Order: sequence, then structure tokens, then C-alpha cells
Amino acid sequence: MGAELITVSTDTEFVHLAWKRDEKELADVKYAMGADPTGKLSRLFGVYDEGSGLALRGTFIISPDGTLFNSEVNFYNMGRNIDELMRKFKANLYLARKADEGCPSKWKDDGDKTLRPGPEMVGRVHEALQD
Amino acid sequence: MSDEITTAKIGQQVPDFELTVYEPENHGFGSRNLADLKKAGKWTILFFYPADFTFV
Repeated sequence: MGAELITVSTDTEFVHLAWKRDEKELADVKYAMGADPTGKLSRLFGVYDEGSGLALRGTFIISPDGTLFNSEVNFYNMGRNIDELMRKFKANLYLARKADEGCPSKWKDDGDKTLRPGPEMVGRVHEALQD
Repeated sequence: MSDEITTAKIGQQVPDFELTVYEPENHGFGSRNLADLKKAGKWTILFFYPADFTFV
């Protein structure tokens, strides 16, 4: 889909290798596993926890021109929903082509209902979502 | 006092970064940087998590 997924933790690349080799859940992993032992990249995205030296669960989507389109940060112990990540990513791809439209919360994929914000929609979002 | 730590913000340009990575497909180490990903016309998804050997 023209995207590169990179996972990042403050572990080194050597630990990533050992984890990938040991953990059966990671058997199919093909994405690059980024090492940020200094926390430099984690700080850039505001997810570095100074107390523990660990990165919080943050997801960031950057467009091909380098703009930050999405950011989601969860506190410890809350896992992320990959379907929601994919929904956001697809919506970003869609909106990169059609900047004058809006993807409402229930938008899932190309062909789903979008909105065109404008004066005629003021106070009529409910109606706009119906047709 | 100057604050050297800048934080990426929604709708703004992300400063260039470089990262050492483990590449499972090549069974080796490599690197990624935002400038190259942009040159390749790719979207970049960064997925941070606290630590290996835990759930992500």
C-alpha cells in the first residue's frame, strides 16, 4: 500500500532479533523493528517516559511529504486495535486524494459515505449521514 | 533557556530522523530514515511500544 510500518521501542536491535527469534507470535513479522535506546525518536514524538526509560504505546502516521497526519498515544497496558489503525490509514489515503471531503467515524473503506463540510451541512449532519 | 527537544505536531512537518532497525526478512540489521522514505513516496507508520518480550 505504499507504506512502511516500523515498530519502535527503546530496546536495541539485538534484543529485537532475540525477541523475534523466540516469540512464536512474531513468526510472520516482516516489518522493520526500530531501536531507540537513547529515546531520541520517542522524545520527538512525545512518548518517552523519563521515569522508566520506555516508550508509551504511540502510533503515528506520516504522509509521503513528511506531514504528521495522525497520532494516537495510549498509556501503559492498553493495547491498540489494528483494524482502527488500518481505518485511519485508509481514511488518510482517501483524504489525501479528496481534501474537500470528510471521513466520519463510521467510515471504513473506499465507497463508504463521506461528508462535504459546507454551509448546507450546518445543523444537518444527521441528514447528511443518512443519504 | 533553550529547549532543544521539539515534539512532532499534527499537520506539521516531522523533522528528519534516522533509526537503526532489525530486518526480519534479511535476518540482519539496517537503518531507516524519513528523508529516504519520503523520496520513495511512502507513507510511514511508527508504532511505539514499551518493551520487547511484552505484548505490543
